[in-house]
Amino acid sequence: MKLLYINLDIAFLFVTGVLQMEFVNLAWNYFRIVEFVHIFGSILLIALFIFPFLYSHIKDTMVKYKARSRSGMLFGVVFILLIVSGFYLFLVGNRGGDSLGTLSFSVHLYGSFVLLFLLGIHLKKFFTPSTATKIASLLVILLPLTPYSHAEKLTNVQYEEGVSRYHNIEWTNSTTCKECHPKIFKQWANSNHRHLADSNPYYMVLENLAGMDRGEEFRTWCMGCHNPSAVSMKQEKTTHFMRDNIMPDPLFVEDSQNLVDAYKSHPNRLEQGVSCIACHRITDASPKGNSSYTLKLKERKKYLYEDAHSDTKAWISQKLINANPKTHKEEYMKPLYKKSEYCASCHNEFLPHSSKIVVSTYEQWKNSKYNTSKNPKEHKECIDCHMNYLKDGNYVGRSGKSTLGGEVKKSIKTHYFTGANHFLVGLKSKEHESQSLQLLKSSAKLDSAIKENKLLVGVTNVGAGHKLPTGASDFREMWLDITVRDRDGRVIFSTGKLDESGNIEKNSIVYNKVFGDKEGNPVGLLFWRYEKLLKDTRIDAGKRVQESFSLPSDAKYPLKAEIKLNFRIYPQWVTDVVKVSYPQLPNPPVVTIAKEEKLFE
Amino acid sequence: MLRLILLGVLIIVIWISSVPYLIPKKVKHSFSDAELREVALSKGMRSIPKEYDAFLKLLDSPKNPITKEKVALGKALFFDVNLSKDNRVSCATCHMLSQNPHNKTQFLDDITNPQSKTDCMVCHIKDQSGSDRLSTAIGVNGRTDPYHRNTLTILNTALAKYQMWDASVKESVKSVELMIEDANKMGLSAKEAERKIAKSVYYKKEFQKVFTEGITFENITLAIDAYQKTLLTRSDFDRFLDGNNSAISESAKRGLRNFIELGCKGCHSGRTIGGETIQHFPTRNYNYIINVTGLFSTEYVGRDVASFNFNFKEYHRFPFENVGGFLGKKEEQRFRVPILRNVTKTSPYFHNGAVFDLREAVYIMGKYQLSMELTETQIDEITDFLKSLEGDVVEYEELK
Repeated sequence: MKLLYINLDIAFLFVTGVLQMEFVNLAWNYFRIVEFVHIFGSILLIALFIFPFLYSHIKDTMVKYKARSRSGMLFGVVFILLIVSGFYLFLVGNRGGDSLGTLSFSVHLYGSFVLLFLLGIHLKKFFTPSTATKIASLLVILLPLTPYSHAEKLTNVQYEEGVSRYHNIEWTNSTTCKECHPKIFKQWANSNHRHLADSNPYYMVLENLAGMDRGEEFRTWCMGCHNPSAVSMKQEKTTHFMRDNIMPDPLFVEDSQNLVDAYKSHPNRLEQGVSCIACHRITDASPKGNSSYTLKLKERKKYLYEDAHSDTKAWISQKLINANPKTHKEEYMKPLYKKSEYCASCHNEFLPHSSKIVVSTYEQWKNSKYNTSKNPKEHKECIDCHMNYLKDGNYVGRSGKSTLGGEVKKSIKTHYFTGANHFLVGLKSKEHESQSLQLLKSSAKLDSAIKENKLLVGVTNVGAGHKLPTGASDFREMWLDITVRDRDGRVIFSTGKLDESGNIEKNSIVYNKVFGDKEGNPVGLLFWRYEKLLKDTRIDAGKRVQESFSLPSDAKYPLKAEIKLNFRIYPQWVTDVVKVSYPQLPNPPVVTIAKEEKLFE
Repeated sequence: MLRLILLGVLIIVIWISSVPYLIPKKVKHSFSDAELREVALSKGMRSIPKEYDAFLKLLDSPKNPITKEKVALGKALFFDVNLSKDNRVSCATCHMLSQNPHNKTQFLDDITNPQSKTDCMVCHIKDQSGSDRLSTAIGVNGRTDPYHRNTLTILNTALAKYQMWDASVKESVKSVELMIEDANKMGLSAKEAERKIAKSVYYKKEFQKVFTEGITFENITLAIDAYQKTLLTRSDFDRFLDGNNSAISESAKRGLRNFIELGCKGCHSGRTIGGETIQHFPTRNYNYIINVTGLFSTEYVGRDVASFNFNFKEYHRFPFENVGGFLGKKEEQRFRVPILRNVTKTSPYFHNGAVFDLREAVYIMGKYQLSMELTETQIDEITDFLKSLEGDVVEYEELK
């Protein structure tokens, strides 16, 4: 009887293990339970029943009767190997970074069949395995199995989520990702993608204005990309955190510490802005724009306790993922994520009421020289620049691990989401600011000449795969700041200086676009009123524009010209308005993208 | 033996997997809109009147008859910062409203002409919520309430049977008096208030017109009370009660049904959906069901075992942090049931403003007052119903 129970115990360990094999293809809902039951059940059974039995069994046979059973001893060795590899998988995991993990996985998997085989031989007197059984079990051992998936499957699955809304419980907080992906979390936490909604003063003011001007429901247009979680929750507006009576200052908080703290005390509170799974659970995206992506949060394969908030359960879930991370990887990483169409779902933007195009960064890239799929060396997708690592102005890539203990990758896709907005990220992290400034400075070049008493300045878009500036270019300023001095050091020509209020002086050459309303008046902040394009001086990718300035005819040569291509992320008049609500906001600095000093004889 | 065990396991598995199919599905009785309205009305829910006569019937009293001049005077006092010790706090500082609650471009006007506006107000004044959106009120010289009580909205307050979190006041005029005299709110004694108001020529003239006694502290409070009585809001739910079936969404109707069926309406009753009774909170204290950790340490006595997870949590009398230590009427954790009209505009919630999310508040109410773990869908529906209670201040032509 005792023997039967022990055999049943071993059968339990074996069956729950086998059920997890890829070959069995168990439904995910069962898999996650089986994985948990296998690990914790095995520990309990082995400690409470199998070890005591083995102890008395070995004592009885080998010590008392001096019996030597070869199959029994082999069984013991394999059993110990299985326990060791099992514990390794449980506590350290098979994350791809160390070969020991993969080895443990193989040992654990194949060893279990060997164990069962040896058990059969050991219990010969109870049942003699026929030759057929032996061959069959050998065949099972040799089944084609991949211990760890190195290659990504090209699974572009079309999903239909039959729900009308999500709940905050489905929006896994980004803090939970931090435990295993601390570096990526940190990069994201200070990036602009994190600070698109409640922690972005400019956005908060603009969303409120939009709600006021076009009705409260119009906020959803903004929130589709800026605040996917709130939109999916059918929330009508973006709200900011409060800590008691104080609005926690999100402008200067490094590494989203406020998010981490809020998660500790309110694990169910909705995380606003673009969180980890807002991007990593997109299953389909079209380049149409205005948040044209498909989310799938509810029906995803979660490991047991993946959503738990308590430390113990979270710890267990991490161990369960690490032991067999294949599904986790498949669930959160899709080939789609490397394509520009995916980014375009939000980086293309049009007015819903008039279909007027507001932002067309994706189209600009599509028509640029960087979109050459025939020439893979020249071809560059969005992430090749914006998720790359810059050093000294060059894209160098960054090798390292994206997961704690994971495999070393040659070039990690950094999650700085480097863009032109150096200002808001710079308030939080100098690293992010430096990345952004390097990107900006690599974007354009200047050249100059004097012909027939005219100063000719050329500006070439050399680095950007889209127009310069792009995005919300009605709220961007790129302009020429020129000072020309004559022989005596007198300023004989000047343009593009800031006036007392901080705005660029009139008649300067500014590269941007200006929207006008029906009557042709500039729309100012209310850019959704756009009907007529009043001005568009953005520079296409790879193109050069030339400006000419007439100098006074009596200038005394040689002339010394100082030409600067300046950039400011928000015009002063925009910042002034935002400061009414957010007095703590500093003024964005002026960045010099390119500079040239030249002496003309 | 083996066969028996296998058979047993098999039977158990089959039983468990077939149970959902064996239990007959209960067909839910669905209410038509008219039935739902009838039920709501039978439970005492009433709409806010849009006609002046009905309004007078409801709130006018012979002690303090409402007249156009008195309301105008009350409004002037309501927005007057001179009614405080440091000349910086008016009633409207905490009960945030704009002079013209129907100005739709208020935000743009403020943001482009930033005069005498504080930063939070620029955005939140357009809520027209009649509360300050803070956890606790900030009064004269930046003083906060010692009990850390949350500001109640002034909208529809005059209709309630009880005022204040601990229901210590019954008449709305009394609450005006209390707020002016409170050292942490406006901090003026009756004498000082009279003296400060009497300085103004405008007030002297107006008080003479409205009251026979001229400027007295009682008259000041009466005038403000007359104004606060006019601050009633009409919402989509009122239009539904008046007979417009399409005024609220289907989800909100289901929410209303939940609200009535699950028992919320037991306390949140009447025209104001609350404010009529005094109740215990929380009625269920899960802290005391199993006291495991207290066996070993006095520090964690009564820790919420429902969230037993080895994270040591502090013991609270409330299902949230007990900031301020306010315990309600007679320190028995008894509170006036809050008014739910405009609840979507008056976060944070509960007496100390510890909960920021309306859905979280609904969940807490379900669990701790009704012993129900509300499902996400139920919370959605109830929240949609609560949204339908959000309304604009009614403009009575006769008072313009």
